Amino acid sequence: MLMMSRREGETILIGDEIEIVIAHVGRSRVKVGIRAPREMPVIAQEVKLVRDQNLAAAAPSPSALSGLIARLQPVAKTRP
Amino acid sequence: MPSFETTSFGKLSYERDSALDFPCGLPGFEDRRLFLILNFEDSKPLLFLQSLEDPRLCFITLPILAVDPQYHLRVSSEDLARLDLPRERQPLIGRDVLCLTILSLQESGPTANLLAPVVVNIANLKATQIIVPESDYSHQHALLPQETAVCS
Repeated sequence: MLMMSRREGETILIGDEIEIVIAHVGRSRVKVGIRAPREMPVIAQEVKLVRDQNLAAAAPSPSALSGLIARLQPVAKTRP
Repeated sequence: MPSFETTSFGKLSYERDSALDFPCGLPGFEDRRLFLILNFEDSKPLLFLQSLEDPRLCFITLPILAVDPQYHLRVSSEDLARLDLPRERQPLIGRDVLCLTILSLQESGPTANLLAPVVVNIANLKATQIIVPESDYSHQHALLPQETAVCS
């Protein structure tokens, strides 16, 4: 992985069309501005994790579901 | 009373004002806005999040406190605004919001997405799937203790 040190206000260019600006450097967070072509999706990595997880979670098979119910009930009963 | 034909539960009749409104959908399902929460006696404590726009789309969820009684909900100010909640304080689960975790049925066992719970404003049923900022919660929290192989 290419590592670059940048100060607040400085920019990184990727190819001709992508511009990344270090907008603000805080104590534990960095604010980054991204300029990219509209057709290029820009999302935080967590959003992709959650999207992939949602796609896997949607519409489970009925057999997997009944198996889950059977396994959960003993757990549920121990809770008031 | 409107009704909707679903793949998992057949025909459902519902009150129009009982539907949850996800103004931005959920990640991966950005154009699905309306969902019902369903529960059934024989599948307690599961809650089903059934889309009212796609008959096949149904998430299995649990109240997040049933998975982790110590769950620490933190909602970003953008998400508070999206839910029409006051931005000065964090919402309380059960009083201000419902907080559900979406389950995945993986081959290795069911997991709960604690990183990205569904939060519903109880007052107006606006809902969004948030990503808890700066948290160590997993998007694949094992729901049941891992089964260990028994050696004989």
